[in-house]
Amino acid sequence: MERYNTVGSSPYNRESWDKVTGVTQYIDDLRFKGMLYAALLFSPHAHAKIVSIDASQALALEGVHSVIHCFNTPDLLYNSAIRFYSDTNPADMPCTERVFGQEVLFVGDRVAAVAADSEALAREAVKHIKVGYELLPSVLTLEDAVVSNAAQASPFGVDGSNLCGGWVAYGSDGEEAVLERVRRSPLQETSTFRTSRVHHGYMEPVAHVALFSPSRTLTVWTSSQSVFSFRDVLSQILGLPQNAVRVIKTVSGGAFGGKLEVMHEPVVALLSMQTMRPVKIRLNRKEVFSSTRTRHEARITLASGYTPEGKLIAQHVYSLLNTGAYAGSGPNTVGAQSGKTFVQYGADAMFYRGGCFYTNSAIAGAMRGYGCPQIMVSREVHMEGIARKLGIDSVQFRLNNLLAPDSTNCMGKPTHQALGIECLQEGAKIFCWDQRRAQALVKSTAKVRYGIGVGTAVHGSGWYPVYQDMTSVTMMMNNDGSLQILTGIHDLGTGAKTVLAQIASEALHIPLDCIEVVEADTAVTPLDLGAQASRSTYIGGNCVLECSLIIKEQLLREAANIIGVAAQDLHLGTSEFIEQVSGKKVSFSTIIDSAQKGLHGKQRQIAAVHSYASHTSVYSYSAVFAEISISVESGTVKVEEILCVHNSGTIINPALCEGQVHGGVQMGLGYALSEEMELDAQRGNITNPTFKNYHMFRAHQMPKITVKFVQGAEPSGPYGAKGIGECATDGVAGAVVNAISHALGGVTIDHIPVNASYVQKLLSQFVP
Amino acid sequence: MSMQEKKTVTFVLNGIEKNLETERSWTLLHVLREVYDLTGTKYGCGTNDCGACKVLLDGMAINSCSFPIHKVEGKSVLTIEGVTLHPRLSLIQDSFVEAHAIQCGFCTPGMVISAAGLLLHTKNPTEQEIREALKGNLCRCTGYVHIVEAVQLASEKIQEYDNGKV
Repeated sequence: MERYNTVGSSPYNRESWDKVTGVTQYIDDLRFKGMLYAALLFSPHAHAKIVSIDASQALALEGVHSVIHCFNTPDLLYNSAIRFYSDTNPADMPCTERVFGQEVLFVGDRVAAVAADSEALAREAVKHIKVGYELLPSVLTLEDAVVSNAAQASPFGVDGSNLCGGWVAYGSDGEEAVLERVRRSPLQETSTFRTSRVHHGYMEPVAHVALFSPSRTLTVWTSSQSVFSFRDVLSQILGLPQNAVRVIKTVSGGAFGGKLEVMHEPVVALLSMQTMRPVKIRLNRKEVFSSTRTRHEARITLASGYTPEGKLIAQHVYSLLNTGAYAGSGPNTVGAQSGKTFVQYGADAMFYRGGCFYTNSAIAGAMRGYGCPQIMVSREVHMEGIARKLGIDSVQFRLNNLLAPDSTNCMGKPTHQALGIECLQEGAKIFCWDQRRAQALVKSTAKVRYGIGVGTAVHGSGWYPVYQDMTSVTMMMNNDGSLQILTGIHDLGTGAKTVLAQIASEALHIPLDCIEVVEADTAVTPLDLGAQASRSTYIGGNCVLECSLIIKEQLLREAANIIGVAAQDLHLGTSEFIEQVSGKKVSFSTIIDSAQKGLHGKQRQIAAVHSYASHTSVYSYSAVFAEISISVESGTVKVEEILCVHNSGTIINPALCEGQVHGGVQMGLGYALSEEMELDAQRGNITNPTFKNYHMFRAHQMPKITVKFVQGAEPSGPYGAKGIGECATDGVAGAVVNAISHALGGVTIDHIPVNASYVQKLLSQFVP
Repeated sequence: MSMQEKKTVTFVLNGIEKNLETERSWTLLHVLREVYDLTGTKYGCGTNDCGACKVLLDGMAINSCSFPIHKVEGKSVLTIEGVTLHPRLSLIQDSFVEAHAIQCGFCTPGMVISAAGLLLHTKNPTEQEIREALKGNLCRCTGYVHIVEAVQLASEKIQEYDNGKV
């Protein structure tokens, strides 16, 4: 393996000191002179038409400055999830949202907003707004939305149905041909698995600040994951040219996809335009749960044909997702999910059919994994079922079927560095799979059952082939030889800025503390598509690396002229070039000064703007191993241990990368066992919108977690790196669910979360 | 007592005595953030469930978001800003950085406070004791792994400090 200076070491996340001392200003900590506070009135009905709004009593309160609603704001349709400006394909990004619509589509939909002198007053004023509703039939659940004679949850459903956008359907052969291959296989397995609606549970509540100035420019501060698309949406809604809309990402207090789509930014922007004052909104936690974004609930049916020796022949995936009241990124999530069908396990023939459906419930959107956790857990449980029927060991069965590196899949696409097999083999060895799998049943008693399970996962690095991914970076040398990097890449606390600085440091031999990374501000940084698709290291890193090499070339040419030697006689020292023979040195600051004075050519700044485009799909891989125990009396599942083996190419910063996996495990465990947004079956409201009743794993509930990386440089990655963010959570639930099934003698589990009441049910079917 | 009734509360904030005219509805979190501009203490949930708003009250970690200001009368409050100035407890902050325990950082001040509450009373906590002490603090980024390691490291640093080695 190549030896690097900075790559592969673990400098601290560069935001650490400000954060640990409480000095970091998150959006809720920003203070503006004359700032007003906004509060929202949310729909209490799952589906209704607004016939009247009387805001006079609210406006009469002293200190209330503005009330806005559907009768006094622009009636313009948009999609909150766009990436590219031209992203308007109605099958992929249908425009279904308004700042305030006359038809409210879920409990938590926006009805009106108030700007007032204080938050308390704004919240008080909201209660004085009188709204007349005409109730419409509602469709609350996915089950109800997909039936052929269902009422329409949204007027945008395709052909009078609740289908959003359209079906995504493709495969190695025609659908009927693939189903026929399944039917004609020696053995077949069909299973349906349901996954629940969960929330990102970021610790920082959603907040935005907007300031509209008399010169008709708007500035919006928001804890966003994609400032440029936010700018595009805001400029569209408000009728302002994009130069007049500046969106600034504030330090992220956690996002996980939940802050990728425009939420209430247009509301504060409109209130600021009305009042000509800075306006801020900060949702309370209950509002965060009910009126932001969630993970798509799913029902996935897999049908596989296979040989008695345990080799897949054909597989058909049929996936139904609940997109909630608005399209957002629903169809796009289906698209992203579809791709995962073909890049994990190999079979001669595979087909994916999926669609998302409108319901009158909380909006689904991007969340870490983006359609992937749903298909991964469903398929890992399905595969486990086949292995069990055949009596083949779970690891061996997967080894028989995972795609091999440097081969082609059934779609004719190259598998590149598909190291899923290596992750699985390495993990089985470290976890002592064979012994522990046997021991678990031996050590189980009448009171406590033990189980061991495995799950694998795969995730892309960057958008391609869904989009032609790109990002840009500006790099400027300062006069003293230090470096500014302006990037549209958004650091969500993952350490993306630290990783980009490491890559630049490696390429230019500039010490890390002499590199500044400025992120995501539409008026300052070049274009980027946002923090999503596990793309920050791979796409952002490649862009920074290529730009660093351009800067290096500029420095080198000037250095060669200064010393009067050929460029190839110079090599890079720390912030300097050294002539190999004489040992003569010229520092970066001398080179920069020379360029600025034009001593050896045109006067110029050492700087570059560079775009990097990715038209390659590379994947990261993981194998997760879990040991769990079940209290037979209470049905409580305790996760005893988790081992995650990942292949993400070269690991640029091992400590930060491990941290991603640790967090991914916490999210995956909640997904598997405890997290679920519960909906009132009649009214359609979320009944558990608090951290007390929405159960995220806490410190004392976490198992021992071991993380291992199977390295192996990805040729197309920066210093060989690939993504980690989403792969970190994709495989966890499958391993845990399979471990529970193992503990209970192979009982069939058909949905998550496997909470205590579900375990009680499973226990009643279990005969030791 | 009406909502608007004012009451003067006397307490010590980060080592300095304060006399503040308060409204009955105010929470300690409101006073810290809106009156004293100490924004290191965070609003995370407002319902006592996440720990982002933790401060030390007479050396015990409490949630300030649902703590009425009038109950602070005669007591001493230490916030994350106060921890930074505290030679012994600021070792916890060093440990959080060194152990890579910080990602988005929104839970971090509350985590540091809970760690301080533990380490003020327990010299050499076990991993289980640390996890119990942190169970009121939610974190969505780290899986708590590096945070627990940071508290272990802090415990060592504080013992060295107490033994005069630092």
